[in-house]
Amino acid sequence: MTTLTRSSAQSLSTVALFAALMAVLGLVPKIDLPFGVPITLQSLGIMLAGCLLGGKRGLQSMALFLLAVAVGLPLLAGGRGGIGVFLLPSAGYLVGYALAAGVVGLLMGRLPAGSPKQAAVSALIAAVLGGVLFLHLLGIAGLMLIAQMPLAKAVMLDLAFVPGDLVKAVLCALVVHTVAKALPDWPLGGKSA
Amino acid sequence: MGSLYSEYRTWLHGLRAGSKLFGLVAAGLALFIFQSLWVLGAGAVLCAGVLASLGPATQPARRLLWAVLVAALLVAGFHVWMGSWQLGVASALRLFCASSLGVALTVTTRTGDLVAVLEWLLQPLRPLGVNPERLSLQLGLMLRFTEHFFIQWGKLDDAYRLRTGRGGGWRLVAPLAVHMLQTARRVADALFVRLGG
Repeated sequence: MTTLTRSSAQSLSTVALFAALMAVLGLVPKIDLPFGVPITLQSLGIMLAGCLLGGKRGLQSMALFLLAVAVGLPLLAGGRGGIGVFLLPSAGYLVGYALAAGVVGLLMGRLPAGSPKQAAVSALIAAVLGGVLFLHLLGIAGLMLIAQMPLAKAVMLDLAFVPGDLVKAVLCALVVHTVAKALPDWPLGGKSA
Repeated sequence: MGSLYSEYRTWLHGLRAGSKLFGLVAAGLALFIFQSLWVLGAGAVLCAGVLASLGPATQPARRLLWAVLVAALLVAGFHVWMGSWQLGVASALRLFCASSLGVALTVTTRTGDLVAVLEWLLQPLRPLGVNPERLSLQLGLMLRFTEHFFIQWGKLDDAYRLRTGRGGGWRLVAPLAVHMLQTARRVADALFVRLGG
């Protein structure tokens, strides 16, 4: 292996660690929201990867996670894994994980994050646009392609998952707020320090 | 944490990972080229036969197989409801074939072998900045830290339970994220010390 520079060592470790975060979010049990609806936290990992790592590293960490799933590790919520999951109707969402993290990171990098409050608001916007809207568009495309559903039906099916993901976008903003306070020098959205 | 690979030896275990992956891709293409229900039905019977021939080796992936079956039935049912039962049956058969072959690949191929094939496949992406050799290191790092942070989550949860009597749930994500970012920096430093130039 060629020798590592400091910045490539940093990127190598953060990409691997955020892929690990996705895996942990898939392994922990479903979370019960205050009104009793259980949600899995895994799509929160996408939003966090984008907001905390930026577009490029966020995408890479999700791609690494998907690679691990593809080679047979049961890291998706519910203990699912293997190449087979990319052939199910939900594959659009899976592929969307990586692209959505990229979009979230791209947006976060361009939005203001001067104070923890600003960072939280920017994270919320980035998470909703990239982690919910964009991801669900890709998921719908997947449903249409693989399950050959017409657009209207695919949208209806998809809408069931939107409220849970909007809650996760709020959670993402809260986490970014905490990180901005605890680690003020962390480059949110992958902005150069 | 284990993979979905099964130690129970079957005829597929002897084939090379690259050949199996190629076979899966070729089968996937064939599934989408052929429209005839008879061809797809025959394919489904063949795939079911392959799965059955693996016997107890499919044990790790039983959950996934169940999810595939449910998805296939839901898709078929949906199309039947929409009035196009041929499309429903075709979609369900394709889904079953593709996913069951995917399962057959996963349970009979070691993770390391698949990673090696993927590294080879990624070589053409070098000009784009992709480094295939780093893949194994990153996968290993990812797995090691999945275990570590899962334990960390457990500790945070225990501490929260002691304080409040309830599980921490979503409240643990923020402290875990901060811990992870701090760890990322320390790991990067360690990597740089060992492998840096």
